[in-house]
Amino acid sequence: MNSSRRGRYLALLCLLPFAVFFIIFQIAPLAWVAINSLQSDSGWGLANFSKVFASKFYLQALQRSLEISFWSSLFGIVIATLGAYSLHKVDSRLRDFVTAFANMTSNFAGVPLAFAFIILLGFNGALTLLLKQMGLLGDFSIYSKTGLILVYTYFQIPLGVLLLFPAFDAVREDWRESAALLGASQWQFWRHIGLPVLAPALLGTFVILLANALGAYATVYALTTGNFNVLPIRIAGLVAGDISLDPNLASALAMVLVGLMTLVTVVHQWLLRRSYHAR
Amino acid sequence: MRAETGKGGLYHKLVVYLLFLILLLPLAGTLLYSLATSWSATMLPSGLTFKWYVALWSEPRFLAAFGQSLLVCVGALLLSVLLILPLLFVVHYHFPRLDAFMNVLILLPFAVPPVVSSVGLLQLYGSGPMAMVGTPWILIGCYFTIALPFMYRAITNNLQAINLRDLMDAAQLLGASTWQAAMLVVLPNLRKGLMVALLLSFSFLFGEFVFANLLVGTRYETLQVYLNNMRNSSGHFNSALVISYFAFVLVLTWVANRLNKDKT
Amino acid sequence: MSFVSVQKLQKSYAGSPVFENIDCQVERGEFVTLLGPSGCGKSTLLRCIAGLTPVDSGQILLDGQDIVPLTPQKRGIGMVFQSYALFPNMTVEQNVAFGLRMQKVKADESQVRVREVLELVELNSFAGRYPHQLSGGQCQRVALARSLVTRPRLLLLDEPLSALDARIRKHLREQIRAIQRELGLTTIFVTHDQEEALTMSDRIVLMNQGRIVQSGDAETLYTAPVDLFAAGFIGNYNLLDADRASRLLQRPVSGRLAIRPESITLGLNGELDAEVRSHSLLGNVIRYRVQVREVELVVDVLNRSAADLHADGKRVSLSIDPTALREVA
Repeated sequence: MNSSRRGRYLALLCLLPFAVFFIIFQIAPLAWVAINSLQSDSGWGLANFSKVFASKFYLQALQRSLEISFWSSLFGIVIATLGAYSLHKVDSRLRDFVTAFANMTSNFAGVPLAFAFIILLGFNGALTLLLKQMGLLGDFSIYSKTGLILVYTYFQIPLGVLLLFPAFDAVREDWRESAALLGASQWQFWRHIGLPVLAPALLGTFVILLANALGAYATVYALTTGNFNVLPIRIAGLVAGDISLDPNLASALAMVLVGLMTLVTVVHQWLLRRSYHAR
Repeated sequence: MRAETGKGGLYHKLVVYLLFLILLLPLAGTLLYSLATSWSATMLPSGLTFKWYVALWSEPRFLAAFGQSLLVCVGALLLSVLLILPLLFVVHYHFPRLDAFMNVLILLPFAVPPVVSSVGLLQLYGSGPMAMVGTPWILIGCYFTIALPFMYRAITNNLQAINLRDLMDAAQLLGASTWQAAMLVVLPNLRKGLMVALLLSFSFLFGEFVFANLLVGTRYETLQVYLNNMRNSSGHFNSALVISYFAFVLVLTWVANRLNKDKT
Repeated sequence: MSFVSVQKLQKSYAGSPVFENIDCQVERGEFVTLLGPSGCGKSTLLRCIAGLTPVDSGQILLDGQDIVPLTPQKRGIGMVFQSYALFPNMTVEQNVAFGLRMQKVKADESQVRVREVLELVELNSFAGRYPHQLSGGQCQRVALARSLVTRPRLLLLDEPLSALDARIRKHLREQIRAIQRELGLTTIFVTHDQEEALTMSDRIVLMNQGRIVQSGDAETLYTAPVDLFAAGFIGNYNLLDADRASRLLQRPVSGRLAIRPESITLGLNGELDAEVRSHSLLGNVIRYRVQVREVELVVDVLNRSAADLHADGKRVSLSIDPTALREVA
């Protein structure tokens, strides 16, 4: 009895190093941000937050962050859904190859991705000049909101495919067969059974893509050298910029972002519990 | 689901090829650009050359950045293994109920983007007794938090697959101490799963930019920061850099994939 | 002409034939079982009839009409799967009503019919439950109800009992048979379980390696297997090669010999001297392994009382009912 209790204390001791590092690098910075978001020159209060929500500049950053995230997640999930479904329907060699490739390209984000797009679609990009010559490009610019949505969509696709691919396993072939024998067409099967069964996974993936885009900093920073007004750029600008440093205001902005992300995470966990293949 | 043939099969094949093409296009373009002598406003570049790669791989600043990236990532993964393995073992063997709590805890790095953590990290460790900003040490610590959710989940899946409790009980009935059972029985069974998790973690840590740029910058330049700082040099040179980086990651993920397949 | 008539049906997968030239008839209201080991083509045949697997050539006539060109939707065939295949996003009631909804049956009529059929499978009180809240047996009854509610011309059952545990299996077996009789529904049932086949069917079609081996009622298949495979698959026949058969009967036997274990009597004044090697208790039957003339035989004896039990190593004598001896090819 005694030795087993000692064993448990020893076991607890093993947790200590992990706890220390986790507190130093995860909890403490977050706590600092949470506390200091409530602190400004005028003392404790919500002054920082009212400043954020009264400023057209910061509201624009918030709005653009949400817009880019929403549209890139939407395009990403539509393409990923079609792709993941078709992947299930082709022979296994092609399937394995393309999923493995998607797996690798999911790491192709941030600075290298931005550079690839600049090289191809930047002001003097090879594709830009080519398309301009053919009169196809119009006033499209990779550095605009539309351009950012394009780049973001690109890094959402492989992530979406990887997350959705297993979900299609949950749609069993014998459901489709029973539905067919009961008189349902292909379309009716998807409308009444396939999509409702997939809905939690689709929404859950959408929400992950949303979070992924909301927090993304490297891509937009590298693409526009920090000149495009989205939330992560503003936060970083306030603590590491050359001009106006204001860590407290940065904390308030950061808390807004964390709030959005928490919402997204909670929704995702809730959806995960509802999904059919979790049962 | 079985593969489809006929008209439906053709459609699915087409979609998959299209998906592959979309994913490939920026990479292929960059690869071509990195091999081009010059390329503007034509369908294909005017000539092919390896000179950009030669220039890149003989550039001391690039090699230094590459090496520093390797060091930071390997350091972070070592730290992660040292911290996470005992944690997982203790949680699953002694306090299984903690697992639910841990599953919430590891959501934190996911819900708190690096840019947010950086705000606090810069202020807390910028000066004073724990000043680490500008050194690789802070990156190693931060990368541990990034790798944590992935490593925790991956190793947990492995532990469940090998039936930790039965293995430990069997080893102990045969006379092994808890420590011996963990080191001689459990660890070897986890080795392959652990390798896969490490390789995949490495490939995404290697691409980390936010912490590296905000907390350390040029004071200990990693590959991603170097890439960003080279924005004004030749596009061909940068392409060679991007392709070299991606080829490295590609090899890592490929090895991880192979290991993963051999497991069964 | 028969209600269902399969004629010269061919099917191959990736070049290797699953079956060739299958001919098979089912009468109206008949309960026919396709019996055979896994991989014998019985499930594929069923799926071809349902229209879920395309056939290479041949005809399937249902009530005189060739249904091969029809999609599954238009065949009017009900099917129950081994895995239940219930739609997880729908309640029991919605699952059962699905087929009616596809036929655009009016809501009030649909409700009445769903209730009727749920009554038939004794699941009225579960109408509002979801599939994941039901046991395996209940799921399979819902699946049965779902395929009955559209009043199919033909009901196909693809190993519907194989995923269930023994007790429920027995009960559901009887329930399915009772419902089938009550509705006079033409039914084709696929199984690999000989006991299921023997107890449920009007007629059994025994298949092996894409071929119909024998077709007939349970009695015929059990007592008169046409070949070695049939004898081996149904009952626990003692199968002896020519050599051992000759030794046992002390007369030359050219082919193989099949002897049912229960056609041998163990006693003290039989014709053949034997020694009990081992025995095992199978409930109401005791199964002995005995050695006689250097041939090992399995003998089933009704377990009447403990006093009858022959201990291992005991010398007994046995007699074999000569009419139960079957020489098979």
